[in-house]
Amino acid sequence: MNDSELKRLFDSADEKPPGDLARSRAQNAALDAFDTARLSVGDQGNHDEPRLTPEITEARRKMMVPTQRWIYSGMASAAVVILGVALWVVQRPVAERDAGPLEITLPPQILSSPPPGNDNEQHALMDAKAEDAARSAARAAAESRQAEEIFATVKTAKRAGEDYTSAMFTPSLAAAPQAYDQPTAPYYEVSGRDEFEHVAPNAVRLAQEEPVSTFSVDVDTASYSFVRRQLNRGVLPQKDAVRLEEMVNYFPYDYTAPSDADEPFKANIAVMESPWHPGNKLVHIGIKGYDIAPAEQPRSNLVLLLDVSGSMNSPDKLPLVKQSMNLLLGELRPEDTVAIVVYAGAAGTVLEPTKVSDKAKILSALDGLSAGGSTAGGEGIRAAYRLAKSSFVKDGVNRVILATDGDFNVGITDSEELKGFVERERESGVFLSVLGFGEGNLNDRLMQALAQNGNGIAAYIDTLAEAQKVLVDEATSSLFPIAKDVKIQVEFNPATVREYRLLGYETRMLNREDFNNDAVDAGDIGAGHTVTAIYEITPAAAKSGLIDPKRYGREATSEQNLHEYGFVKIRYKLPREDASRLISQPIDVDTSSSGVLMREARFAAAVAGFAQLLKGGQYTGSWTMDDAIALAQANRGEDAYGYRAQFIQLIRRAKMAESMASPR
Amino acid sequence: MDIATGMTAEEGLIRRAQAGDRVAFSELVAGQYDLIYRFALKFSGRIEDAEDIAQQACIKLAQSIGRFRFESALSTWLYTLVLSCARDWEKSQSKHRFPDSPLDDPHTVDTADEKIVYLGQVLDRIDAMGDGFREAIVLVVGEGMSHAEAATILAVKESTVSWRVHEVRRRLGELAAEDTDER
Repeated sequence: MNDSELKRLFDSADEKPPGDLARSRAQNAALDAFDTARLSVGDQGNHDEPRLTPEITEARRKMMVPTQRWIYSGMASAAVVILGVALWVVQRPVAERDAGPLEITLPPQILSSPPPGNDNEQHALMDAKAEDAARSAARAAAESRQAEEIFATVKTAKRAGEDYTSAMFTPSLAAAPQAYDQPTAPYYEVSGRDEFEHVAPNAVRLAQEEPVSTFSVDVDTASYSFVRRQLNRGVLPQKDAVRLEEMVNYFPYDYTAPSDADEPFKANIAVMESPWHPGNKLVHIGIKGYDIAPAEQPRSNLVLLLDVSGSMNSPDKLPLVKQSMNLLLGELRPEDTVAIVVYAGAAGTVLEPTKVSDKAKILSALDGLSAGGSTAGGEGIRAAYRLAKSSFVKDGVNRVILATDGDFNVGITDSEELKGFVERERESGVFLSVLGFGEGNLNDRLMQALAQNGNGIAAYIDTLAEAQKVLVDEATSSLFPIAKDVKIQVEFNPATVREYRLLGYETRMLNREDFNNDAVDAGDIGAGHTVTAIYEITPAAAKSGLIDPKRYGREATSEQNLHEYGFVKIRYKLPREDASRLISQPIDVDTSSSGVLMREARFAAAVAGFAQLLKGGQYTGSWTMDDAIALAQANRGEDAYGYRAQFIQLIRRAKMAESMASPR
Repeated sequence: MDIATGMTAEEGLIRRAQAGDRVAFSELVAGQYDLIYRFALKFSGRIEDAEDIAQQACIKLAQSIGRFRFESALSTWLYTLVLSCARDWEKSQSKHRFPDSPLDDPHTVDTADEKIVYLGQVLDRIDAMGDGFREAIVLVVGEGMSHAEAATILAVKESTVSWRVHEVRRRLGELAAEDTDER
């Protein structure tokens, strides 16, 4: 390539005018930043929110990467001054920064600008991906419409007469057809950047060598929703996206509930034949948390931390976030408070803590949100915690709810630093829940880590129906913890159990000694939550084990307690206590369980089996998807919300996706 | 040039924006957006990246307009601003550029979009040559600046720019030869 060819190539960039949508978005963002900068720099006597967040970030990064300083070194121009001012902001005492009233800034209304689909060059730009984009935009629109219809019916019936119902739906219904008719609209779409942590499945252990198994409970359900979304579009999910315990725990189970908040849960133990491995047995440990009656619902102080970066500009993201938050509002009581912080190019407070009784104000703040800019999640989190603490409710629920499509591109980019921050803030009594939206860019690992460190749940919301499940049907369990740091330790009896294997919970394993160490953090259980853990065991007498007996050295077995397979211990702390309490219960060899419990255990086994098949079926032998369907079908039970019926549909889809994926 | 004040229209606009005049600032951004976007596009070679970088640059412009001292032309100042936004953006994306993907055949490239895709591929190659090469070539060949002007913006010596530009030309020539051989 010679110079003139290169020159011509660069000139082609001049031939292409910028897109109008991008232009207006940039201009709006700039004006917004201009207003902000003017407020915080122009009036230094009034220490509002530190609104210079991108500059703080800038300075921070330059300090961390000294080699970058040369960029500024030769310049007598403003960049040097930026650095100076930014440092001044950083060095201002925290108390000073936190003092003073909070300002309210509504971001520019980008979504209300003319329909983007008319944009010719955008059309051309998307040409290569046009078909793909069209299909997915249509699908997303159809999905959200469908979910909306279902939900509209439910909700209208439930709250007929309340005027905000219609307000809730107007914006989304108006938006959906637009997406439908204009499939080439430049919605942000990335794919294949979803990040999942790879964890090897738990291995088979010899009870003789390692009789004790310890893990933390996990009430997250994000994995199931993600898997469902993939399967609904006819694709098998990545194996690392399948977390068995989250799939099992997605479903509510009909376990016996404890009757009083002081001993907040009860273990339901069942033993059944292993469906996929004759001779083996499944030990099923089901825990149900104490359910708070609506009258006892504590006061809530919620801060919604919403990602409005450019990547959220897609029908299954920001619009769905707004609708979901609308749903959540319906579950709160008038004296509860809600605040909204957004983050994109800059973090900002959109709504200071406002009583839910002032619903119109909250709704209009939500409606005014629009997507644009990159993601400064780190700064947003700081602002959100600051607000949560400013309206802290003693003995109530203080929680930051983060809604994002994943990446925290700018800000505290170091995820360890973020985790550390969330963990420190947890001590102040403010917890964090993470709701994931959209796909293609989902940083599942970071979401999980943040929620785990912040004593919260991580859920993945792909449709409005899912938002309904997480935020309405299970609102109490998502919001009100009844026990924290819940750990389970099972000791197997080598006299009766030869081998055992814990299904799932790979990311939640704890050391044996961590069980009695109250300083070790573990998962939380919310009001009415059910948590299920399943062990596959090979009884001592059975020939179905995987590990050969040792040739040298007789395996000494004590002949004691031949009527017990093992012993389950559960440690937990009450939400406002720091010392743990203990519940324990033996697993009897001839455990006899009620028909209902057996049914629930079998359904859970079907889910666990299906999850194992999706992960490659290392231990499931010749057991197939059809067997999973049969087992789930026979144990559907009442299924009030239809989740189990949906699950059976999902296995069928997986079967189809599987046959298409492997023609070989 | 306004005879009464001795200021160009641009300078007047900047001064009003610096004084906090929102309308003036809005006008300034509207007037400069094309330059900002085009430079971002020449640097990144990708339309979607260019849009994001340009937006960041506009935000940064809003935040730092007060410190523009008229010591250089506005456009020079804007180049440094866009460049630093572009670098930050690429770092934050931690997106890999793919220097190994084969170049399109330049003779089949004719629409403006295809040319930009091709430009992106060439930029990937240049970027893979090492730090600083892409910036130098974009300023010199893409924006038609003298080596001295580019050196001011990049805060390096003029000779460094000359060497970088020379190197890129030489290596691109080699690459083109290889690609032709492979075909």
